[in-house]
Amino acid sequence: MADGPAGATPPDAGGGDGDTPLARSASPIEFRLDTASGVPTYLQLVHQVEHALRLGYLKPGDQLPKVRDAVASLAINPNTVLKAYKELETKGLAVGRPGQGTFVQATLSQVALPELATLRRSLLAWLGTADAAGLDEDGIVALFTSALRDFFERRGAPGRRGTSDSQKEGVA
Amino acid sequence: MNVIETSGLGKRYGSTWALRNFTVAVPAGHVAALVGPNGAGKTTLLNLAVGLARPTAGAVNVLGGEPAGSPAALDGIAFVAQDAPLYKNLPAADMLQLTGNLNRRFDHGYAQERLAELGIPLKRRAGKLSGGQQAQLALTLALARRPRLLVLDEPLANLDPLARHDFMGMVLAAAAEDGMSVVLSSHVLAELERVADYLILVSGGRVQVAGEVDELLARHRVLTGPAAEAGRIAQRLSVVHARRAEAQAHLLVRTGGPGDPVPPGWEAHPVSVEELVLAYLREPGAAALPGPARTQKAEPTEVSR
Amino acid sequence: MITLNTPAPARRDTTPPPVPWRRLTWVSWRQYRMSAAGAAAFLGVLALYLLIMGLRIRGAYAAVADCSLSAPGKRCVGAFLLFDNDYFLIAETSAAVLLAVPALAGVFAGAPILARELDSGTFRFAWTQGAGRTRPTLARLALPALTLTAAAAAFSQLFGWFFYPFFAGREFAQASAFAPIYFTLTGIAFAAWTLTAFAIGALAGVLIRRAVPAMAAALAAWSGLLLATLLFLRRHYEAPLTTRTGQTSPSSWVISNWWTGPNGHRVTSENQIIAILNGGPHPGYTQWTIYQPATRYWHFQLIEGGWLLALSLLLIAATIWMVRRRAA
Repeated sequence: MADGPAGATPPDAGGGDGDTPLARSASPIEFRLDTASGVPTYLQLVHQVEHALRLGYLKPGDQLPKVRDAVASLAINPNTVLKAYKELETKGLAVGRPGQGTFVQATLSQVALPELATLRRSLLAWLGTADAAGLDEDGIVALFTSALRDFFERRGAPGRRGTSDSQKEGVA
Repeated sequence: MNVIETSGLGKRYGSTWALRNFTVAVPAGHVAALVGPNGAGKTTLLNLAVGLARPTAGAVNVLGGEPAGSPAALDGIAFVAQDAPLYKNLPAADMLQLTGNLNRRFDHGYAQERLAELGIPLKRRAGKLSGGQQAQLALTLALARRPRLLVLDEPLANLDPLARHDFMGMVLAAAAEDGMSVVLSSHVLAELERVADYLILVSGGRVQVAGEVDELLARHRVLTGPAAEAGRIAQRLSVVHARRAEAQAHLLVRTGGPGDPVPPGWEAHPVSVEELVLAYLREPGAAALPGPARTQKAEPTEVSR
Repeated sequence: MITLNTPAPARRDTTPPPVPWRRLTWVSWRQYRMSAAGAAAFLGVLALYLLIMGLRIRGAYAAVADCSLSAPGKRCVGAFLLFDNDYFLIAETSAAVLLAVPALAGVFAGAPILARELDSGTFRFAWTQGAGRTRPTLARLALPALTLTAAAAAFSQLFGWFFYPFFAGREFAQASAFAPIYFTLTGIAFAAWTLTAFAIGALAGVLIRRAVPAMAAALAAWSGLLLATLLFLRRHYEAPLTTRTGQTSPSSWVISNWWTGPNGHRVTSENQIIAILNGGPHPGYTQWTIYQPATRYWHFQLIEGGWLLALSLLLIAATIWMVRRRAA
């Protein structure tokens, strides 16, 4: 996942001509950082890529922002960006080409519509139970967020199982 | 390779030990943050690492085994001291020439590009530039040397928020491009989380915490639960710092990892770098050091108040 | 742990070779351009003064040259008095002033080099560059040292020219080049004393770390050394000669003389001495003179220049050694 050779700048990159903040980045998207969210930085980047994929800002073959550019504009640690890109690689969403950058490889797998509908129904049922128990909206959100975090912590990231499981899944 | 490696390092000024029995190994390819209260020994450590001071006891090696201050060390390390010292009566162009003459490696093109981008006039005397511009100039000179290690002593102290952002952006971009390692001392805890991936907490001239940020955060958590049970928890787990009200207590504990079970009736929350640092600063007796030989069971100051 | 896998640039494993001297000298030049210009201006004015005054003195001397003391015409007396009183006074004063120049030059040039570096904190920049401490410091000391020494040598030549009419050795010559102050201003001594002032300044700068106290200390030390040399040291480079004839060459250095009476004791009363000098023959009274003969002038110059040079080199070596050892 190396960036291009150090110091090599394409002739038309760099903000020399005035109106080119958009023209500078070779990637369709730019990252932003939400310092107040409490979500780890690298995860924010991963989510932003996934979100961009869902919304169509990114298509397979597009280049993700260069590590150097993301780092310079956000003032974050380069390893954070590398970690995010590695995560995307593990999820199969991106692939790194040495000397060129990191590129989008696939779209997010869509969950089938009937399955979505089932999930939504069971969720509404649960919400009804919670409401009957006396939980208000904030209480529901707190409980859900905490359970969500616990779940994924124990489970490990998608594509990798927890420590109890010795099998390894996902993109090699 | 370790960019800075000390063993039993000590430095005494007069009758005071600024650093004592200081052992740390900062790996390459990281941005390491050196934090601690004023007078804890941060500047002393950095001065020793760049060869401006000599140890009273122990040793410090840099860039994979070179003695600090040796020609190879000086060649590979660029240092920006506190308040970004420059020759105030020389214009920026002369500072560039001067630095180029004092080093084997100097990228004039890069330096001029950066200064142009930052809007720093080449003909104006360094003393007439603003504080932020002086810091940027000093940093440009350091980065143009293409060092393997960049050492910054409180670089952000005199900078406004925008200047701070641009300064760190420049440092990190260089780290991304060249694989340069960075060691910086800072007070600004909030920004460390985004910037640093290795943390060294210095307190009272000694290392209190040292390790990769990810690992430190993975091995600490805050347990929130009934104050009455706090004592019992403290006996089973390694509590770094406790905050107690009448009914509720927050315990910042050290764990084996994220998979560790949460005591029933308690909630676990992840810890931020800022919270971690503050907790350890409040408990000088506690420590979190890498390696099995070094982990100390926190002394029984844990459940305070 | 994720690490950046950027292509690693080829790194040398051996100690890097030293940085070239010419570039380091440029460093030195760039930093002190301004003060060098100021010093050059000052010295230029001084040189101009010596030149103009020197020409006028020579004019006056030429006016007196044809006359001799034994047969003064009216015109001669006037010209002679002008030469002897007015111009000599000016020349003497100039000489005394000129003596301060190496002190000031050396001290003002030498002390601030390292003192300001340490005081302002720029050593934290300068001593962490790839070139290290020793070579850049040497270059930064060498350029001003050599320039100052060369300028001083030129000035002592100019002074020699300026003062020549008074050294000329004719019957009405007033001064000996061997005399304490003039000896210091001529030959190679002037250049050597300037270099020494610089070296003392440099060492003071690195020891005291603040420019003004270092300058003051250096000035005091240099003045002390000069005084000690003039009063004690110089006369012993070679054992002085003693004569009872009372006749010594005008270009010799009379260290002391006294009269003894018939009883062999020293004549202390001034009135007696005046009486002897004014009166006729004085049997039993002898004038003793301790002196260094004029022929030894250059020998003494070499001795003094030699030990001053050795001292300067020692001081500069000590300065460099202190720079290497100085810890933050």
